[in-house]
Amino acid sequence: MTAIAAKPSASEGINPVASVIGIVIIIAAVAIAAVFANFALAALIGVIIGGLLIGFGVHFVPVGGAPAAMGQSPGIATGVAMLAAGAGLAGLFGGAWAAANPAFGIAIVIAAGAIGGGLLMAVTCLMVNIVYIFGMGIPAASGKVAKDPITGDSQAEYKSQGTEGHGLPFISYVGGVIGGMLGGAGGTLIYYELLQVYAAKLPELFSATAADVLPVAVSLAGIFAVGMFLMNAVLAAYNITGTIEGPHDPKFKRFPRAVIGCAVASAVAGLFAVLIVVV
Amino acid sequence: MTVQVTASKGGIPHNTIMAYGLVGSIVCLYLTYLNQYLSVEYAALFGGLAAVFALIWGTDTIKHLCSYGIGTGVPSAGMIAFGSGVIAMLLATADVFNSMFLSPIMAVVFGAIIGGVAGWLANNVMRMNIPVMVRSLTEMAIIGAIVLMGFTAVMAGGFGFEALSAREIAILGPLAMKNFEFTVLGGCLVAVSFMLGSIALQHPFNACLGPGEKQDRTLMLAAECGFLSMIPVAVISFAFVGIGAAVLSLIVAVAGWYYTYARFLELSKRDAFAWLDAKPILEPKGED
Repeated sequence: MTAIAAKPSASEGINPVASVIGIVIIIAAVAIAAVFANFALAALIGVIIGGLLIGFGVHFVPVGGAPAAMGQSPGIATGVAMLAAGAGLAGLFGGAWAAANPAFGIAIVIAAGAIGGGLLMAVTCLMVNIVYIFGMGIPAASGKVAKDPITGDSQAEYKSQGTEGHGLPFISYVGGVIGGMLGGAGGTLIYYELLQVYAAKLPELFSATAADVLPVAVSLAGIFAVGMFLMNAVLAAYNITGTIEGPHDPKFKRFPRAVIGCAVASAVAGLFAVLIVVV
Repeated sequence: MTVQVTASKGGIPHNTIMAYGLVGSIVCLYLTYLNQYLSVEYAALFGGLAAVFALIWGTDTIKHLCSYGIGTGVPSAGMIAFGSGVIAMLLATADVFNSMFLSPIMAVVFGAIIGGVAGWLANNVMRMNIPVMVRSLTEMAIIGAIVLMGFTAVMAGGFGFEALSAREIAILGPLAMKNFEFTVLGGCLVAVSFMLGSIALQHPFNACLGPGEKQDRTLMLAAECGFLSMIPVAVISFAFVGIGAAVLSLIVAVAGWYYTYARFLELSKRDAFAWLDAKPILEPKGED
Protein backbone atom coordinates (compact mmCIF):
# COMPACT_ATOMS: atom_id res chain seq x y z
CA MET A 1 0.00 0.00 0.00
CA THR A 2 1.40 3.33 -0.86
CA ALA A 3 0.33 6.40 0.83
CA ILE A 4 -2.76 5.79 2.14
CA ALA A 5 -5.97 4.66 1.32
CA ALA A 6 -7.87 7.83 1.79
CA LYS A 7 -7.03 11.24 3.05
CA PRO A 8 -9.56 11.99 5.75
CA SER A 9 -12.19 14.37 4.51
CA ALA A 10 -12.55 16.37 7.68
CA SER A 11 -15.70 18.40 7.26
CA GLU A 12 -16.11 21.92 8.50
CA GLY A 13 -18.73 23.07 10.94
CA ILE A 14 -20.36 21.52 13.95
CA ASN A 15 -22.10 18.17 13.79
CA PRO A 16 -25.33 19.00 15.69
CA VAL A 17 -26.42 15.42 16.40
CA ALA A 18 -23.03 14.38 17.76
CA SER A 19 -22.81 17.56 19.83
CA VAL A 20 -26.17 16.89 21.46
CA ILE A 21 -25.19 13.28 22.18
CA GLY A 22 -21.95 14.62 23.67
CA ILE A 23 -23.83 16.97 25.97
CA VAL A 24 -26.07 14.07 27.03
CA ILE A 25 -22.92 12.09 27.92
CA ILE A 26 -21.70 15.03 30.06
CA ILE A 27 -25.05 15.21 31.87
CA ALA A 28 -25.03 11.42 32.38
CA ALA A 29 -21.50 11.55 33.85
CA VAL A 30 -22.46 14.37 36.20
CA ALA A 31 -25.61 12.49 37.22
CA ILE A 32 -23.66 9.30 37.97
CA ALA A 33 -21.24 11.35 40.06
CA ALA A 34 -24.16 12.99 41.87
CA VAL A 35 -25.55 9.58 42.84
CA PHE A 36 -22.39 7.62 43.66
CA ALA A 37 -19.90 10.33 44.59
CA ASN A 38 -21.84 13.35 45.70
CA PHE A 39 -18.83 14.87 47.48
CA ALA A 40 -16.97 15.03 44.15
CA LEU A 41 -19.67 16.73 42.11
CA ALA A 42 -18.05 20.17 42.21
CA ALA A 43 -14.68 18.60 41.44
CA LEU A 44 -16.08 16.84 38.35
CA ILE A 45 -17.50 20.11 37.05
CA GLY A 46 -14.08 21.71 37.65
CA VAL A 47 -12.45 18.88 35.69
CA ILE A 48 -14.86 19.42 32.77
CA ILE A 49 -14.10 23.16 32.74
CA GLY A 50 -10.38 22.37 32.88
CA GLY A 51 -10.74 20.02 29.91
CA LEU A 52 -12.52 22.54 27.73
CA LEU A 53 -9.96 25.20 28.68
CA ILE A 54 -7.23 22.85 27.41
CA GLY A 55 -9.14 22.14 24.19
CA PHE A 56 -9.67 25.85 23.58
CA GLY A 57 -6.09 26.78 24.52
CA VAL A 58 -4.51 24.28 22.13
CA HIS A 59 -6.05 26.18 19.20
CA PHE A 60 -3.96 29.25 20.05
CA VAL A 61 -0.65 27.41 19.92
CA PRO A 62 1.21 27.99 16.63
CA VAL A 63 2.34 24.63 15.30
CA GLY A 64 4.18 24.23 12.04
CA GLY A 65 5.24 20.61 12.15
CA ALA A 66 7.90 19.31 9.77
CA PRO A 67 7.46 22.14 7.19
CA ALA A 68 8.27 24.68 9.92
CA ALA A 69 11.60 22.94 10.46
CA MET A 70 12.37 23.66 6.82
CA GLY A 71 11.11 27.25 7.05
CA GLN A 72 8.06 26.60 4.88
CA SER A 73 5.29 27.37 7.35
CA PRO A 74 4.98 29.55 10.42
CA GLY A 75 4.94 27.93 13.81
CA ILE A 76 7.00 25.73 16.07
CA ALA A 77 8.45 22.68 14.39
CA THR A 78 6.68 19.95 16.31
CA GLY A 79 3.28 18.33 16.76
CA VAL A 80 0.39 19.98 18.56
CA ALA A 81 0.19 17.27 21.19
CA MET A 82 3.88 17.51 22.09
CA LEU A 83 3.81 21.28 22.37
CA ALA A 84 0.58 21.36 24.34
CA ALA A 85 1.91 18.66 26.65
CA GLY A 86 5.02 20.72 27.30
CA ALA A 87 3.05 23.85 28.14
CA GLY A 88 0.53 21.90 30.21
CA LEU A 89 3.15 20.05 32.22
CA ALA A 90 5.11 23.26 32.85
CA GLY A 91 1.85 24.82 34.02
CA LEU A 92 1.16 21.80 36.20
CA PHE A 93 4.52 22.21 37.93
CA GLY A 94 3.74 25.84 38.69
CA GLY A 95 0.25 24.99 39.87
CA ALA A 96 1.40 22.03 41.98
CA TRP A 97 3.97 24.24 43.67
CA ALA A 98 1.27 26.76 44.57
CA ALA A 99 -1.20 24.04 45.60
CA ALA A 100 1.36 22.66 48.08
CA ASN A 101 1.16 25.91 50.02
CA PRO A 102 -2.01 25.93 52.14
CA ALA A 103 -1.99 29.74 52.26
CA PHE A 104 -2.78 29.95 48.55
CA GLY A 105 -6.40 29.73 47.41
CA ILE A 106 -7.67 28.29 44.15
CA ALA A 107 -7.26 31.59 42.27
CA ILE A 108 -3.53 31.80 43.01
CA VAL A 109 -3.06 28.12 42.19
CA ILE A 110 -4.75 28.51 38.79
CA ALA A 111 -2.81 31.72 38.12
CA ALA A 112 0.47 29.97 38.95
CA GLY A 113 -0.43 27.17 36.53
CA ALA A 114 -1.35 29.67 33.82
CA ILE A 115 1.91 31.54 34.26
CA GLY A 116 3.90 28.31 34.13
CA GLY A 117 2.27 27.28 30.85
CA GLY A 118 2.48 30.77 29.35
CA LEU A 119 6.12 31.09 30.35
CA LEU A 120 7.07 27.86 28.63
CA MET A 121 5.35 28.97 25.43
CA ALA A 122 6.96 32.43 25.62
CA VAL A 123 10.43 30.92 25.98
CA THR A 124 9.77 28.38 23.23
CA CYS A 125 8.43 31.02 20.81
CA LEU A 126 11.37 33.33 21.56
CA MET A 127 13.93 30.60 20.91
CA VAL A 128 12.13 29.53 17.72
CA ASN A 129 12.34 33.08 16.38
CA ILE A 130 16.01 33.38 17.35
CA VAL A 131 16.73 30.19 15.41
CA TYR A 132 14.67 31.36 12.42
CA ILE A 133 16.01 34.89 12.23
CA PHE A 134 19.63 34.52 13.30
CA GLY A 135 20.13 30.87 12.46
CA MET A 136 18.23 30.42 9.21
CA GLY A 137 18.21 34.06 8.13
CA ILE A 138 14.51 34.31 7.38
CA PRO A 139 12.07 36.93 8.70
CA ALA A 140 8.83 36.02 10.42
CA ALA A 141 5.85 36.31 8.07
CA SER A 142 2.33 34.97 8.11
CA GLY A 143 0.85 33.30 5.06
CA LYS A 144 -2.72 33.40 6.30
CA VAL A 145 -3.32 37.15 6.71
CA ALA A 146 -2.19 40.23 4.76
CA LYS A 147 -1.66 42.31 7.88
CA ASP A 148 -0.75 41.28 11.38
CA PRO A 149 -3.98 41.81 13.38
CA ILE A 150 -2.11 43.32 16.34
CA THR A 151 0.76 45.37 14.93
CA GLY A 152 -0.76 46.05 11.50
CA ASP A 153 2.52 45.17 9.76
CA SER A 154 2.02 43.86 6.24
CA GLN A 155 3.24 40.31 5.69
CA ALA A 156 3.27 39.63 1.95
CA GLU A 157 6.58 41.45 1.24
CA TYR A 158 8.46 39.18 3.62
CA LYS A 159 6.85 35.90 2.64
CA SER A 160 9.03 33.65 0.48
CA GLN A 161 7.48 32.26 -2.65
CA GLY A 162 6.23 28.72 -2.43
CA THR A 163 5.87 28.81 1.32
CA GLU A 164 2.96 29.39 3.64
CA GLY A 165 5.01 31.92 5.56
CA HIS A 166 7.72 31.26 8.13
CA GLY A 167 8.97 32.14 11.57
CA LEU A 168 6.59 33.27 14.28
CA PRO A 169 4.77 36.52 13.41
CA PHE A 170 3.81 38.69 16.38
CA ILE A 171 0.20 37.47 16.40
CA SER A 172 1.35 33.82 16.52
CA TYR A 173 3.70 34.63 19.38
CA VAL A 174 0.91 36.27 21.37
CA GLY A 175 -1.41 33.39 20.50
CA GLY A 176 1.16 30.88 21.73
CA VAL A 177 1.46 32.60 25.09
CA ILE A 178 -2.34 32.82 25.47
CA GLY A 179 -2.66 29.15 24.52
CA GLY A 180 0.01 28.15 27.01
CA MET A 181 -1.75 30.12 29.75
CA LEU A 182 -5.15 28.56 28.99
CA GLY A 183 -3.66 25.07 28.81
CA GLY A 184 -1.67 25.52 32.00
CA ALA A 185 -4.72 26.91 33.81
CA GLY A 186 -6.92 24.04 32.58
CA GLY A 187 -4.44 21.32 33.55
CA THR A 188 -3.92 22.92 36.95
CA LEU A 189 -7.68 23.18 37.55
CA ILE A 190 -8.02 19.43 36.91
CA TYR A 191 -5.09 18.71 39.25
CA TYR A 192 -6.36 21.02 42.00
CA GLU A 193 -9.95 19.71 41.97
CA LEU A 194 -8.83 16.06 42.04
CA LEU A 195 -6.29 16.82 44.77
CA GLN A 196 -9.06 18.22 46.98
CA VAL A 197 -11.11 15.03 46.48
CA TYR A 198 -8.22 12.67 47.20
CA ALA A 199 -6.85 14.66 50.12
CA ALA A 200 -10.30 14.52 51.72
CA LYS A 201 -11.16 10.89 50.92
CA LEU A 202 -7.92 8.89 51.04
CA PRO A 203 -7.31 9.29 54.81
CA GLU A 204 -10.53 7.45 55.66
CA LEU A 205 -9.94 4.89 52.90
CA PHE A 206 -6.55 3.96 54.38
CA SER A 207 -7.41 4.99 57.97
CA ALA A 208 -4.32 7.16 58.14
CA THR A 209 -3.59 10.82 58.80
CA ALA A 210 -3.98 13.38 56.04
CA ALA A 211 -0.26 14.18 56.07
CA ASP A 212 0.65 10.51 55.62
CA VAL A 213 -1.47 9.92 52.54
CA LEU A 214 -0.63 13.26 50.93
CA PRO A 215 2.05 11.73 48.64
CA VAL A 216 -0.50 9.27 47.26
CA ALA A 217 -3.09 12.04 46.79
CA VAL A 218 -0.59 14.31 45.00
CA SER A 219 0.66 11.48 42.82
CA LEU A 220 -2.83 10.30 41.86
CA ALA A 221 -4.09 13.81 41.09
CA GLY A 222 -0.92 14.53 39.13
CA ILE A 223 -1.03 11.42 36.95
CA PHE A 224 -4.76 11.81 36.30
CA ALA A 225 -4.18 15.45 35.33
CA VAL A 226 -1.38 14.41 32.94
CA GLY A 227 -3.54 11.68 31.43
CA MET A 228 -6.51 13.97 30.88
CA PHE A 229 -4.26 16.72 29.58
CA LEU A 230 -2.81 14.46 26.91
CA MET A 231 -6.24 13.12 25.96
CA ASN A 232 -7.65 16.61 25.53
CA ALA A 233 -4.55 17.91 23.75
CA VAL A 234 -4.60 15.07 21.21
CA LEU A 235 -8.36 15.43 20.62
CA ALA A 236 -7.83 19.16 19.99
CA ALA A 237 -4.92 18.30 17.70
CA TYR A 238 -7.19 15.96 15.75
CA ASN A 239 -9.59 18.86 15.39
CA ILE A 240 -6.82 21.05 13.97
CA THR A 241 -5.40 18.21 11.80
CA GLY A 242 -1.81 19.29 11.70
CA THR A 243 -0.70 22.87 11.48
CA ILE A 244 -2.19 26.10 12.76
CA GLU A 245 -0.71 29.60 12.91
CA GLY A 246 -2.64 30.99 15.84
CA PRO A 247 -5.88 32.83 16.54
CA HIS A 248 -5.91 34.49 13.07
CA ASP A 249 -5.71 31.15 11.24
CA PRO A 250 -9.01 30.10 9.57
CA LYS A 251 -8.72 26.73 11.33
CA PHE A 252 -9.11 28.57 14.65
CA LYS A 253 -12.84 28.85 13.92
CA ARG A 254 -13.13 25.10 14.47
CA PHE A 255 -12.58 25.52 18.21
CA PRO A 256 -16.23 25.02 19.31
CA ARG A 257 -16.02 21.38 18.22
CA ALA A 258 -12.91 20.81 20.32
CA VAL A 259 -14.48 22.57 23.31
CA ILE A 260 -17.48 20.20 23.17
CA GLY A 261 -15.31 17.16 22.50
CA CYS A 262 -12.83 17.90 25.29
CA ALA A 263 -15.63 18.59 27.77
CA VAL A 264 -17.17 15.19 26.99
CA ALA A 265 -13.83 13.36 27.21
CA SER A 266 -13.03 15.13 30.50
CA ALA A 267 -16.45 14.28 31.91
CA VAL A 268 -15.93 10.55 31.30
CA ALA A 269 -12.29 10.56 32.42
CA GLY A 270 -13.12 12.74 35.44
CA LEU A 271 -15.93 10.38 36.45
CA PHE A 272 -13.47 7.45 36.38
CA ALA A 273 -10.98 9.49 38.39
CA VAL A 274 -13.42 10.29 41.20
CA LEU A 275 -14.88 6.76 41.24
CA ILE A 276 -11.49 5.38 42.29
CA VAL A 277 -12.09 6.58 45.87
CA VAL A 278 -15.65 5.17 45.85
CA VAL A 279 -15.27 1.59 44.60
CA MET B 1 1.90 19.08 8.91
CA THR B 2 1.05 16.65 6.18
CA VAL B 3 3.05 13.52 6.50
CA GLN B 4 2.91 10.94 3.81
CA VAL B 5 2.73 7.69 5.64
CA THR B 6 3.56 4.52 3.81
CA ALA B 7 2.62 1.24 5.35
CA SER B 8 3.20 -2.25 4.02
CA LYS B 9 0.42 -4.48 2.87
CA GLY B 10 0.02 -8.13 3.69
CA GLY B 11 1.66 -9.87 6.56
CA ILE B 12 -0.34 -11.17 9.49
CA PRO B 13 -3.87 -9.67 9.48
CA HIS B 14 -4.55 -7.10 12.16
CA ASN B 15 -7.35 -9.12 13.73
CA THR B 16 -5.01 -12.05 14.28
CA ILE B 17 -2.41 -9.83 15.92
CA MET B 18 -5.11 -8.26 18.07
CA ALA B 19 -6.35 -11.67 19.19
CA TYR B 20 -2.84 -12.84 20.11
CA GLY B 21 -2.04 -9.52 21.81
CA LEU B 22 -5.23 -9.38 23.84
CA VAL B 23 -5.26 -13.03 24.92
CA GLY B 24 -1.50 -13.16 25.48
CA SER B 25 -1.38 -10.04 27.62
CA ILE B 26 -4.43 -10.97 29.70
CA VAL B 27 -3.09 -14.47 30.31
CA CYS B 28 0.24 -12.96 31.39
CA LEU B 29 -1.50 -10.45 33.68
CA TYR B 30 -3.45 -13.31 35.26
CA LEU B 31 -0.24 -15.27 35.76
CA THR B 32 0.98 -12.43 38.00
CA TYR B 33 -1.88 -13.31 40.35
CA LEU B 34 0.22 -16.42 41.16
CA ASN B 35 2.08 -14.02 43.45
CA GLN B 36 -1.00 -13.50 45.60
CA TYR B 37 -2.13 -17.11 45.32
CA LEU B 38 1.17 -18.76 46.20
CA SER B 39 2.57 -15.90 48.32
CA VAL B 40 5.66 -15.57 46.15
CA GLU B 41 6.99 -12.70 44.07
CA TYR B 42 8.61 -14.48 41.14
CA ALA B 43 5.53 -14.13 38.93
CA ALA B 44 6.09 -10.36 38.68
CA LEU B 45 8.01 -10.86 35.42
CA PHE B 46 4.81 -11.92 33.63
CA GLY B 47 3.65 -8.29 33.88
CA GLY B 48 6.52 -7.28 31.62
CA LEU B 49 5.62 -10.01 29.12
CA ALA B 50 2.01 -8.76 29.15
CA ALA B 51 3.31 -5.29 28.30
CA VAL B 52 5.37 -6.70 25.40
CA PHE B 53 2.35 -8.55 23.98
CA ALA B 54 0.23 -5.40 24.24
CA LEU B 55 2.93 -3.20 22.67
CA ILE B 56 3.25 -5.50 19.64
CA TRP B 57 -0.52 -5.35 19.20
CA GLY B 58 -0.50 -1.57 19.74
CA THR B 59 2.17 -0.99 17.11
CA ASP B 60 0.01 -2.75 14.54
CA THR B 61 -3.00 -0.66 15.64
CA ILE B 62 -1.02 2.58 15.26
CA LYS B 63 0.04 1.38 11.81
CA HIS B 64 -3.59 0.93 10.82
CA LEU B 65 -4.71 4.26 12.24
CA CYS B 66 -1.81 6.33 10.97
CA SER B 67 -1.99 4.86 7.47
CA TYR B 68 -4.93 7.27 7.08
CA GLY B 69 -2.69 10.34 7.43
CA ILE B 70 -4.35 11.85 10.49
CA GLY B 71 -2.14 14.92 10.18
CA THR B 72 -0.93 15.04 13.76
CA GLY B 73 1.97 12.64 13.48
CA VAL B 74 2.34 9.16 14.87
CA PRO B 75 3.42 10.10 18.45
CA SER B 76 0.09 11.77 19.25
CA ALA B 77 -1.57 8.36 18.91
CA GLY B 78 0.73 6.95 21.61
CA MET B 79 -0.01 9.93 23.84
CA ILE B 80 -3.78 9.56 23.70
CA ALA B 81 -3.43 5.80 24.21
CA PHE B 82 -1.62 6.24 27.49
CA GLY B 83 -3.51 9.37 28.54
CA SER B 84 -6.76 7.44 28.47
CA GLY B 85 -5.11 4.15 29.48
CA VAL B 86 -3.71 5.47 32.75
CA ILE B 87 -7.19 6.56 33.88
CA ALA B 88 -8.70 3.16 33.04
CA MET B 89 -5.80 1.28 34.64
CA LEU B 90 -5.89 3.15 37.96
CA LEU B 91 -9.64 2.63 38.34
CA ALA B 92 -9.17 -1.07 37.52
CA THR B 93 -6.66 -1.49 40.36
CA ALA B 94 -9.34 -0.63 42.95
CA ASP B 95 -9.26 -3.23 45.70
CA VAL B 96 -12.80 -4.40 45.04
CA PHE B 97 -11.75 -5.59 41.57
CA ASN B 98 -8.37 -6.88 42.68
CA SER B 99 -9.80 -9.01 45.46
CA MET B 100 -12.15 -10.64 42.94
CA PHE B 101 -9.21 -11.24 40.53
CA LEU B 102 -10.92 -8.93 38.05
CA SER B 103 -8.36 -6.12 37.61
CA PRO B 104 -7.06 -7.18 34.14
CA ILE B 105 -10.60 -7.65 32.80
CA MET B 106 -11.75 -4.35 34.28
CA ALA B 107 -8.73 -2.58 32.73
CA VAL B 108 -9.95 -3.84 29.34
CA VAL B 109 -13.56 -2.80 30.07
CA PHE B 110 -12.71 0.69 31.35
CA GLY B 111 -10.14 1.16 28.57
CA ALA B 112 -12.77 0.21 26.00
CA ILE B 113 -15.26 2.70 27.43
CA ILE B 114 -12.89 5.66 27.60
CA GLY B 115 -11.15 4.84 24.31
CA GLY B 116 -14.49 4.31 22.57
CA VAL B 117 -15.71 7.71 23.76
CA ALA B 118 -12.48 9.38 22.60
CA GLY B 119 -12.68 7.68 19.20
CA TRP B 120 -16.33 8.60 18.78
CA LEU B 121 -15.55 12.21 19.70
CA ALA B 122 -12.67 12.37 17.22
CA ASN B 123 -14.77 10.91 14.42
CA ASN B 124 -18.14 12.58 15.01
CA VAL B 125 -17.63 15.76 17.01
CA MET B 126 -14.24 16.64 15.46
CA ARG B 127 -15.54 15.23 12.15
CA MET B 128 -12.40 13.35 11.18
CA ASN B 129 -14.38 10.63 9.37
CA ILE B 130 -11.68 7.98 9.57
CA PRO B 131 -13.19 4.49 9.28
CA VAL B 132 -10.86 2.83 11.81
CA MET B 133 -10.80 5.72 14.31
CA VAL B 134 -13.27 4.44 16.91
CA ARG B 135 -11.90 0.94 16.85
CA SER B 136 -8.25 2.07 16.92
CA LEU B 137 -8.63 4.47 19.84
CA THR B 138 -10.63 1.83 21.73
CA GLU B 139 -7.85 -0.69 21.18
CA MET B 140 -5.20 1.82 22.13
CA ALA B 141 -6.78 2.83 25.43
CA ILE B 142 -6.99 -0.87 26.31
CA ILE B 143 -3.35 -1.31 25.30
CA GLY B 144 -2.27 1.69 27.40
CA ALA B 145 -4.10 0.30 30.42
CA ILE B 146 -2.62 -3.20 29.97
CA VAL B 147 0.94 -1.95 29.50
CA LEU B 148 0.73 0.26 32.60
CA MET B 149 -0.79 -2.57 34.59
CA GLY B 150 1.92 -4.95 33.42
CA PHE B 151 4.73 -2.57 34.37
CA THR B 152 3.07 -1.92 37.72
CA ALA B 153 2.94 -5.67 38.32
CA VAL B 154 6.67 -5.96 37.57
CA MET B 155 7.46 -3.13 40.01
CA ALA B 156 5.15 -4.09 42.88
CA GLY B 157 4.44 -7.77 42.26
CA GLY B 158 0.70 -7.15 41.98
CA PHE B 159 -1.88 -4.47 41.38
CA GLY B 160 -4.16 -3.87 44.35
CA PHE B 161 -4.78 -0.17 44.89
CA GLU B 162 -4.05 -0.43 48.58
CA ALA B 163 -0.92 -2.51 47.99
CA LEU B 164 0.32 0.07 45.50
CA SER B 165 -0.17 2.98 47.88
CA ALA B 166 0.64 1.60 51.35
CA ARG B 167 3.55 -0.51 52.55
CA GLU B 168 4.45 -1.93 55.95
CA ILE B 169 7.93 -0.80 56.89
CA ALA B 170 9.61 -2.47 59.84
CA ILE B 171 11.17 -0.12 62.35
CA LEU B 172 13.06 -1.32 65.41
CA GLY B 173 12.43 -5.00 64.75
CA PRO B 174 8.89 -6.02 65.62
CA LEU B 175 7.46 -2.51 65.32
CA ALA B 176 6.03 -1.71 61.92
CA MET B 177 4.39 1.33 60.46
CA LYS B 178 2.42 2.01 57.34
CA ASN B 179 4.26 4.12 54.83
CA PHE B 180 2.61 5.83 51.89
CA GLU B 181 5.53 7.72 50.43
CA PHE B 182 7.88 4.92 49.41
CA THR B 183 5.29 3.12 47.30
CA VAL B 184 4.54 2.72 43.61
CA LEU B 185 1.76 5.32 43.71
CA GLY B 186 3.24 7.57 46.42
CA GLY B 187 6.51 7.81 44.51
CA CYS B 188 4.51 8.43 41.32
CA LEU B 189 6.29 5.61 39.54
CA VAL B 190 3.16 5.39 37.39
CA ALA B 191 4.52 8.49 35.65
CA VAL B 192 7.78 6.66 34.90
CA SER B 193 5.98 3.65 33.44
CA PHE B 194 3.69 6.05 31.56
CA MET B 195 6.63 7.55 29.67
CA LEU B 196 8.47 4.22 29.24
CA GLY B 197 5.33 2.65 27.83
CA SER B 198 4.14 5.49 25.63
CA ILE B 199 7.53 5.94 23.99
CA ALA B 200 7.75 2.19 23.42
CA LEU B 201 4.30 2.32 21.80
CA GLN B 202 4.79 5.32 19.54
CA HIS B 203 8.39 4.72 18.49
CA PRO B 204 8.35 1.49 16.42
CA PHE B 205 6.01 2.52 13.60
CA ASN B 206 7.38 6.07 13.61
CA ALA B 207 10.89 4.67 13.17
CA CYS B 208 10.01 2.10 10.51
CA LEU B 209 7.41 3.93 8.40
CA GLY B 210 8.23 4.94 4.88
CA PRO B 211 9.02 2.98 1.78
CA GLY B 212 10.04 -0.59 2.48
CA GLU B 213 8.21 -0.84 5.77
CA LYS B 214 7.81 -4.51 6.65
CA GLN B 215 5.44 -5.79 9.28
CA ASP B 216 7.80 -8.31 10.86
CA ARG B 217 10.55 -5.71 11.27
CA THR B 218 8.20 -3.11 12.78
CA LEU B 219 6.72 -5.62 15.20
CA MET B 220 10.18 -6.90 16.15
CA LEU B 221 11.15 -3.31 17.00
CA ALA B 222 7.99 -3.06 19.11
CA ALA B 223 9.00 -6.16 21.08
CA GLU B 224 12.52 -4.75 21.43
CA CYS B 225 11.15 -1.46 22.79
CA GLY B 226 8.91 -3.37 25.19
CA PHE B 227 11.81 -5.34 26.66
CA LEU B 228 13.96 -2.19 26.71
CA SER B 229 11.29 -0.43 28.80
CA MET B 230 11.02 -3.49 31.00
CA ILE B 231 14.71 -3.19 31.96
CA PRO B 232 14.34 0.09 33.96
CA VAL B 233 11.04 -1.15 35.36
CA ALA B 234 12.79 -4.29 36.60
CA VAL B 235 15.54 -2.13 38.12
CA ILE B 236 12.89 -0.07 39.94
CA SER B 237 11.35 -3.30 41.23
CA PHE B 238 14.43 -3.90 43.42
CA ALA B 239 12.90 -1.32 45.78
CA PHE B 240 9.60 -3.14 46.16
CA VAL B 241 9.91 -6.91 45.61
CA GLY B 242 12.44 -9.43 46.89
CA ILE B 243 15.86 -9.43 45.30
CA GLY B 244 15.35 -12.85 43.73
CA ALA B 245 12.18 -11.81 41.93
CA ALA B 246 13.72 -8.52 40.79
CA VAL B 247 16.83 -10.23 39.43
CA LEU B 248 14.63 -12.73 37.61
CA SER B 249 12.63 -9.90 35.96
CA LEU B 250 15.83 -8.13 35.03
CA ILE B 251 17.36 -11.25 33.48
CA VAL B 252 14.21 -11.92 31.45
CA ALA B 253 14.11 -8.28 30.31
CA VAL B 254 17.78 -8.20 29.28
CA ALA B 255 17.60 -11.58 27.56
CA GLY B 256 14.41 -10.63 25.73
CA TRP B 257 15.87 -7.32 24.71
CA TYR B 258 19.09 -8.91 23.44
CA TYR B 259 17.25 -11.50 21.35
CA THR B 260 14.76 -9.05 19.82
CA TYR B 261 17.43 -6.45 19.16
CA ALA B 262 19.61 -8.98 17.37
CA ARG B 263 16.60 -10.13 15.32
CA PHE B 264 15.66 -6.51 14.53
CA LEU B 265 19.18 -5.78 13.28
CA GLU B 266 19.03 -8.90 11.11
CA LEU B 267 15.68 -7.87 9.63
CA SER B 268 16.91 -4.31 9.08
CA LYS B 269 19.89 -5.63 7.12
CA ARG B 270 17.59 -7.90 5.12
CA ASP B 271 15.27 -5.00 4.22
CA ALA B 272 18.09 -2.56 3.52
CA PHE B 273 19.62 -5.11 1.18
CA ALA B 274 16.29 -5.72 -0.56
CA TRP B 275 15.63 -2.00 -0.86
CA LEU B 276 19.02 -1.16 -2.32
CA ASP B 277 18.72 -4.08 -4.72
CA ALA B 278 22.47 -4.38 -4.54
CA LYS B 279 24.85 -7.07 -3.52
CA PRO B 280 26.58 -6.76 -0.18
CA ILE B 281 30.23 -5.70 -0.26
CA LEU B 282 32.12 -8.88 0.47
CA GLU B 283 34.79 -8.70 3.13
CA PRO B 284 38.19 -9.57 1.62
CA LYS B 285 39.29 -12.90 3.01
CA GLY B 286 42.77 -14.16 3.65
CA GLU B 287 45.59 -11.62 3.73
CA ASP B 288 44.88 -8.12 5.06
